[in-house]
Amino acid sequence: MASLPQALPQQRAAGPVARPAPPPIARVRRRRRPSGEPPPLPRQLRASGKWWLALSGLVLLACVLVVATGTIRYVDVADTRVLQAIAGVRSPALTTVAEAVGVLASDRVLHAIWLTDLVLLAVFRRWRHLLVWLGVALLVINVGTAMVTTLQRPRPFEVEVLGEWSGFSMPSLPVTVLAALLVSSLYSLVPPGPKRTVGKWVVCALLVLTGASRLYLAQDHPTGLLAGVVLGVATPLAAFRLLTPNSVYPVRYTRARPAHLDVTGERGAAIVRALQDQLGLVATDVSPFGLAGSGGSTPLKITVKAGGSQGESESCVFGKLYAATHVRSDRWYKLGRTLLYGRLEDEKPFHSVRRLVQYEDYILRLFCDGGLPVPQPLGIVEITPEREYLLVTEFIAGAKEAGEALVDDSVIDQGLFVVRRMWEIGMAHRDIKPANLLVRNGTLYLIDSAFAEVRPSPWRQAVDLANMMLVLGLRTDAERVYQRARLHFSDEEIAEAFAATRGLTMPSQLRRMLRRQGRDLQSEFLALLPFRFPPVRIQRWTWRRAGLTVVTLAAAATAAYVSAGLLGSPL
Amino acid sequence: MVLGEDSLACRDGDENHPANGVVLMAQSVPSAAWVPCLEVMPLGWDLAGLEADESSARFWLDSDRDGVHALEVALTSSCNTVEATEIPSEREGMRRWERVTQVTPQYVGTRHYVFDGGCVNVHFRLSGENRSEPLGVATQGVGAVTREQVRAAVRDQTDGRLELDPPPDGEG
Repeated sequence: MASLPQALPQQRAAGPVARPAPPPIARVRRRRRPSGEPPPLPRQLRASGKWWLALSGLVLLACVLVVATGTIRYVDVADTRVLQAIAGVRSPALTTVAEAVGVLASDRVLHAIWLTDLVLLAVFRRWRHLLVWLGVALLVINVGTAMVTTLQRPRPFEVEVLGEWSGFSMPSLPVTVLAALLVSSLYSLVPPGPKRTVGKWVVCALLVLTGASRLYLAQDHPTGLLAGVVLGVATPLAAFRLLTPNSVYPVRYTRARPAHLDVTGERGAAIVRALQDQLGLVATDVSPFGLAGSGGSTPLKITVKAGGSQGESESCVFGKLYAATHVRSDRWYKLGRTLLYGRLEDEKPFHSVRRLVQYEDYILRLFCDGGLPVPQPLGIVEITPEREYLLVTEFIAGAKEAGEALVDDSVIDQGLFVVRRMWEIGMAHRDIKPANLLVRNGTLYLIDSAFAEVRPSPWRQAVDLANMMLVLGLRTDAERVYQRARLHFSDEEIAEAFAATRGLTMPSQLRRMLRRQGRDLQSEFLALLPFRFPPVRIQRWTWRRAGLTVVTLAAAATAAYVSAGLLGSPL
Repeated sequence: MVLGEDSLACRDGDENHPANGVVLMAQSVPSAAWVPCLEVMPLGWDLAGLEADESSARFWLDSDRDGVHALEVALTSSCNTVEATEIPSEREGMRRWERVTQVTPQYVGTRHYVFDGGCVNVHFRLSGENRSEPLGVATQGVGAVTREQVRAAVRDQTDGRLELDPPPDGEG
């Protein structure tokens, strides 16, 4: 947009009202985590996972040793003697039972489990689990097949093999795949706790029954069966525990957003411990707070011991818990916006949780230094290195969202001052909506600066002004807000703001509230303007956007092709 | 499964025993007196896959001139020779039938070797110009060993402690 003559406002409105100091908080001595000590919430494989992995390594080592030393004959003889002993108790009735029980490892049943898991994980939108599940299945199948092809062990000798079998026998591929699918289903579909414990016993029983059936029918060698179970259990166990820990990717069947992490149990205790060690805050309670207004982090109200001599025993601080999932969501969100609108977003995605939290803390401190009414930052707490961090700030107790609070001229002026001040210090908030403007005792606070930007585009700054005026107009009227705005901004600046804004530049909460009120507030503001500027173009085609679109379409086509291939049998 | 040619060698190792792939094929058709295997493979031919289950076994070869899956060799307990023509067999103990289904643009045909307790079907699907070479591969590259040779291999590999097949009375 061409430079415009900037008419000065007739009268400069007053700045923000004096805000009360945050409530005193007790601080204890902080403690540095010594080298070698695990972080508050370490990522754990747990003892059973390590055992299964060690067993897997042992199986692979044993296979290599047997091949290298040419001692397979001894294993063959031992296996055959076991199978002959079992075959000694064969009877028609037992054979019927064994064939029925062994159907679990048949191609048709494995295919059914495979497709059911695929559908269920997609229906419940558990994408992370789905990816790990696919990775585990492909890894187990390929490692199993590679072992089968390398070892080339025939079916059992000297015993009549009953029922279906296919290919070489070491390890037992159907049992390997069955174990991997059952354990993967358990870790991706069954919530942790008593249900999963029961599930583990069920999986164990199913594997024992299937194994017994296959030994009875002499379809597998005992060692091939054992190797299959170890490989099939250890791989998904390790993968799911490491890549989808319950604390970060919980399996649950509630309406909770996936972005919101569970802060009870291990994580709750870790947060309390970390707050004391790293910030010297003695937390007595950690609970989710205002989840409805947050989709990119887990907001927390943390009750801490109060300080000072005012007689209060407890005070509160606000925490925003960020995890790797939030960074990934942020990345996808920004990719989507780039594809849909071109250069609508003025910034690049974050590449780590640490960077994201550091950035928000830095922005908060910039806002504080700039005299903006934001919650006072209290520091960053590390929960799991590079994976989970907690940003701690002052808690604005007793405040109401701007969409519900009493909005008078003073509040309108404070809101407009916030935008003017951000312009002066070269910043934009980029997410001005009712949930991010709190009012308490006539004082307005600006919260959630995660999207804020230093030296944004003029367009972004203009959008901030329009969104602020729209939010303030929700509880008042356009005329009143416009008249107050003219005390802070020139007509040209206000006209530019409304030329820059439209539906998709407004936060969805603001759009929703405007719709609910049935008012076309934007048109009301436009009608008040003495003149209008042509709308600022949002759709911008760049080489980057075109390239990203092509790559995304190619990736989607590849994913569709691979998905179609995955619908086939895992065997 | 994809394997090396050694997996189906008629004579493998110092003892010149049939390879484990041949043993597995023998287990697929316990009645078969003969089991197909691979003699020396001509240049340009590769063993592309092997499948064996409780009723049959097959392997197939790719050719750089005659296309993928140009030759498939299957061992079954019996085969249908109704539309095939019997011609003199070059293999001792086996009768040979030929059936040509198509000549152009591809050569498609089946050769059956029938013997006691089994049948080896060699299926051709040839895209190349020269048909005599792949037909020669089927004759000379694809060999066969007797079940007794396979039994001897198992016996030898297990120091005489194990047999390939269960005792005839069925008591395993």
